[in-house]
Amino acid sequence: MSGAIDRVHAFRQSNAWIFSTMLVSACLSLLASFVLSVDAIALAKDPAANLACNINARISCGTVGSSWQAHLFGFPNAYLGLLAEPVVITIAVASLAKVRFPRGFMLAAQVVYTLGVVFAYWLFFQALFVIGALCPWCLLVTLSTTLVFTSLTHVNLRDNNLFLSEWVHERAKAALRIGLDAVVVTLWLVGVVMLVFTKYGATLFA
Amino acid sequence: MPQPTKKKRTLSGATTVKTAGTGRAAAASQREIMRQAREQEEREAKLRRRLGVGTLGVVVIALVVILVVVVVPALTKKAAATGSYALAIGSESAPVTIDIYQDFMCPYCGQFERAQSADLKAMVDSGQAKVVFHLMNFLDPSSSGTKYSTRAADAFATVAKQQPSAALAFDSALYADQPAEGSSGLTDAQIADRARSAGVSDAVIATFANQPNLDFVNKSNQAAFADGITSTPTVKINGTVFKGDLYTAGTLKTAVEAAK
Repeated sequence: MSGAIDRVHAFRQSNAWIFSTMLVSACLSLLASFVLSVDAIALAKDPAANLACNINARISCGTVGSSWQAHLFGFPNAYLGLLAEPVVITIAVASLAKVRFPRGFMLAAQVVYTLGVVFAYWLFFQALFVIGALCPWCLLVTLSTTLVFTSLTHVNLRDNNLFLSEWVHERAKAALRIGLDAVVVTLWLVGVVMLVFTKYGATLFA
Repeated sequence: MPQPTKKKRTLSGATTVKTAGTGRAAAASQREIMRQAREQEEREAKLRRRLGVGTLGVVVIALVVILVVVVVPALTKKAAATGSYALAIGSESAPVTIDIYQDFMCPYCGQFERAQSADLKAMVDSGQAKVVFHLMNFLDPSSSGTKYSTRAADAFATVAKQQPSAALAFDSALYADQPAEGSSGLTDAQIADRARSAGVSDAVIATFANQPNLDFVNKSNQAAFADGITSTPTVKINGTVFKGDLYTAGTLKTAVEAAK
């Protein structure tokens, strides 16, 4: 068990793992954004459009997609994913090919993506507590955005692309060495899943 | 165990550097540094394993809890939810049965009701047909948090059970000037007013406040989904889904007469 944990830990520190995670997550997020954009057009044409992901009262893209939260800035939120994820894909592919980006560039990526994650979770909580329905593609965006954010933050903490002081950077690296990043993200996702089930419970299957 | 200082920690990267000097003191301090680096690494590895096992434990517990508390009951309940949640209005012996699956927040249900209510009333009054309502509340999320579908269905179920003679009129009253989907719906007071205008007795209206049919409405909704209802309104004539034009007066009456 402990041997496995050490091996997984060592693998998680490799660029191959970090940037592959980033690449796959960004591709999934892009795919979901694309589907949601297409759905947004379908809903604009016909508000009663029967989308494939309207499964029941709780799992329904139609309900979520027709809410005001779904186009907070006057256009479907998914367009933001279409704009941002290709940049992440580019960073991930270039990094897998051993390109090193300037620290300022990575800092900018971190800042913008952090805003994206905050927005994604704002939407998630709106869907959960205000709109009262979840949509599968939005959940995929929430999950993949979390994973992109995790891998981006991991690499930026490791390489100190965030211009942290020596002292803070040492602490961050120590946290990465004991795998605190994985613990935090895992517990966070467990918390999110538990929240969905506590809030909706059996009605998810109704 | 001595706490490693920051200086020693940053030096830990130097463990692979070969000592240039061969002096005993240099070698000893090199060994000391390597020993401390190893100890530090051991401590971190131990902590990492504990955290890893702990996190896995939390994940497993969470999965088990979800499985036991939510998934298993949901799957077993589905098989058990076979009770009848139909509300029949009209003569028991009427030759034709019209099943209506509806949600009071659904705009097309309103359009259907406004087009057909006169015919429905005539057919029920003449004993030609009975109407069986199946209430649904899946549009609860579309009433700005007020759960209008449930509130309206609860009141309607109360009337259908306690004063069935006023049920059709109350149905019409709820759909007349229907609140838009996504609005907060009618208030409880407005629902009571419409019931009064439909001829529901004050005694029955007084029981609305307790929402006596919450469970009934939820189960009725589940039962409708279990019946394979995918959209509202769904109208069945003697058990067969009516595929004609729901929104033009007369079409349903013609189909009922054909089914007699």
